[in-house]
Amino acid sequence: MSTDPIIRVEGVSKKFCRSLKRTMLYGVKDVARDVLGLPQNSDGLRPDEFWALDNVSFEVKRGECLGLIGANGAGKSTLLKLLNGITLPDKGTIKVAGRVGALLELGAGFHPMLTGRENIYLNAAILGLSKEEITEKFDAIVDFAGLEEFIDSPVKHYSSGMYVRLGFAIAVHAEPDVLLIDEALAVGDAHFVQKCFTAFSQFQRQGVTILFVSHDMNVVRRFCQETIWLEVGTIIRRGEPKNIIDLYNAMVFERIAAKTQQAKSLSAADIASRKSVNSAQRFGTGAAEIVDMTLLNLQLRPVEIVTSGEETIFRIVVRFKDFVSDAVFGITIRDKRGLEVYGTNTLWKKSKLKSCRVGDVVQIDFRQNLMLGQGDYFVNVAVNEKRAEGLVRLDWIADVIKFSIVSDDEFMGFCNLNSEISVHFI
Amino acid sequence: MEEVINSTPSAVASTAAQRQGELEIEYTPSGARRNGVSGWRIMFADLVESRRLIWLLILRDISVRYRQSILGYIWAIIPQLATVSVFAFLHASRVLPIGGTRIAYVAYALWGISVWQLFAGCLSSCTASLVSSGSLVTKVNFPREALVIAAVGPPVFDFVVRLVPVVAVFIWYGVTPSWGVIFAPLVLLPVMLLALGLGFVLSIANLVIRDTGNALGTVLTIGMFLTPVLYPPPVRWPFFLVNLLNPLSPLLTASQDLIADGVLTRPEMFVAACILSLVLALAGWRAFRVTIPRVAGYA
Repeated sequence: MSTDPIIRVEGVSKKFCRSLKRTMLYGVKDVARDVLGLPQNSDGLRPDEFWALDNVSFEVKRGECLGLIGANGAGKSTLLKLLNGITLPDKGTIKVAGRVGALLELGAGFHPMLTGRENIYLNAAILGLSKEEITEKFDAIVDFAGLEEFIDSPVKHYSSGMYVRLGFAIAVHAEPDVLLIDEALAVGDAHFVQKCFTAFSQFQRQGVTILFVSHDMNVVRRFCQETIWLEVGTIIRRGEPKNIIDLYNAMVFERIAAKTQQAKSLSAADIASRKSVNSAQRFGTGAAEIVDMTLLNLQLRPVEIVTSGEETIFRIVVRFKDFVSDAVFGITIRDKRGLEVYGTNTLWKKSKLKSCRVGDVVQIDFRQNLMLGQGDYFVNVAVNEKRAEGLVRLDWIADVIKFSIVSDDEFMGFCNLNSEISVHFI
Repeated sequence: MEEVINSTPSAVASTAAQRQGELEIEYTPSGARRNGVSGWRIMFADLVESRRLIWLLILRDISVRYRQSILGYIWAIIPQLATVSVFAFLHASRVLPIGGTRIAYVAYALWGISVWQLFAGCLSSCTASLVSSGSLVTKVNFPREALVIAAVGPPVFDFVVRLVPVVAVFIWYGVTPSWGVIFAPLVLLPVMLLALGLGFVLSIANLVIRDTGNALGTVLTIGMFLTPVLYPPPVRWPFFLVNLLNPLSPLLTASQDLIADGVLTRPEMFVAACILSLVLALAGWRAFRVTIPRVAGYA
């Protein structure tokens, strides 16, 4: 398998027009220029136009699963449309070295009056499958979609979940080299989503590249090796899902905080660059500050390698810079992919703390058995204030502690449940 | 391994090419324009590739249209019979002085209106094809001319259904068509090509400006009276201009010639109209290919 990038996007920009009237005018002009073979001066913006994507460049390697995240209107769907060749970029080039399959809209191309069976044949033909291929894969498609009972009903009677199941089943069986998915999976039920992700993992082993847009950060964490965060048409950050999602959440938080405090709103890029300066990702109102955080063994010595099942203490030291009436301290342990393994806090554990004044320094110990599977883990620490409207982040640091679990026992998975096994003849 | 081609950004251009060998597709701002012979070669390759899709789309449109209806295919005949009845009445009552026709007037008018409706039906269905496909145009990449070409299917099907009353009327009035009638389908082919060529352009125009579809209805209503459909081809100036300036007139006249006596009265006009239809169909197709990626978002 070649290690060349399967998708290369270089300096791609795409503009749209806000006004419908001007859209028609520009449309007529552009079409006329195309037909007459005149050059398009697509570099500049005309009145009411804006860049939906602005100078975006990235590469995707074969077999990679890339998640696209960002607020609504960030340009995620536009990017997928460009990658699928439905519209052309106004600037830059896109190169795709493989067959592209896309699921950009729920049941795009289904005819409501046709039955599921008829739609499978038609849709597969639209995706370029030959008659033999469709006949061969028909049963597998129906089976994957789980629609045996409804296959001869018109699809207009299908639920939205059934729609997406059928669409996804067809797209998957078209055997693309690159699969583009735009939020479509959000409506499937848990069972189907699980099935999709099993298919995704299988795909990746076969070298299929997957790009998907999602607002479900857990899904992105779980399945993507890489994440691109888009904001107002530009790439803010690209990297491991864990880091990018933390940055993204921090930005969302600061936006909300800025709004409530009537402060000037920071651009996403500002926040991202400021965060990266402080190496660790951190955000909060600043009313309290986490000054120290260590993992200790029962002899109170700092440790980095822990035997599975060993009793340990996470010790946090917090200094208050403001009066806080009801502080909540919490930790979250995450694995390398960013999946949350365990999280707890003083609110859930009902451990009371009196109000804190300016200058108070508080030490909090979390004592537990680390019954975890082998591997590396990261710990997030948070200090919140409980208010009527909910928890408010005073200080939050990602990955402030890193530790490794080793084990003499053999087992698999996240945690060591330490099963007692008895075997006897009956 | 990867031969870089600066191809048109059409899915089948890509999928067809990719199936043969692993090629790389490139999308650039001017990517839709591909000049010269190679551009045409890709277009024809796509057409061959999507022939089954076109067939499926035609079957879909025909089978879907009357699924939730009682009279079903009879609806293909009703408007035609209604129009002809009105004109037959106007003709018989001499309210409207329509000149003499070579065959019985009702048979003449019924045939004329069937051919006209074939043209008008193809043109309006092609024009609406992209807009009515909605998300298929905006969210799926495939050779979208398949939608426009397939839009010719249902009107052709309707035409075949309409031949039933035509034959019945011919028998009723004792009109025996000449042996030349076997060539009639050859005359109808350029009628469809003409509609398709215009339809390619209008389908794109309709995507950008929806007035196109509405305007077309009015234009077609007027157009029917500017074509010798319900009256014999005029011979006096300036009225005979409709025979010359309307590209459909020579085609319609040729079909009437074939039915009446098997000899074309104006073969040179017929050939000219055929060539025009073919050129329009090819030019419209090309224009469609060049512009579709730009306007796909408008659906």
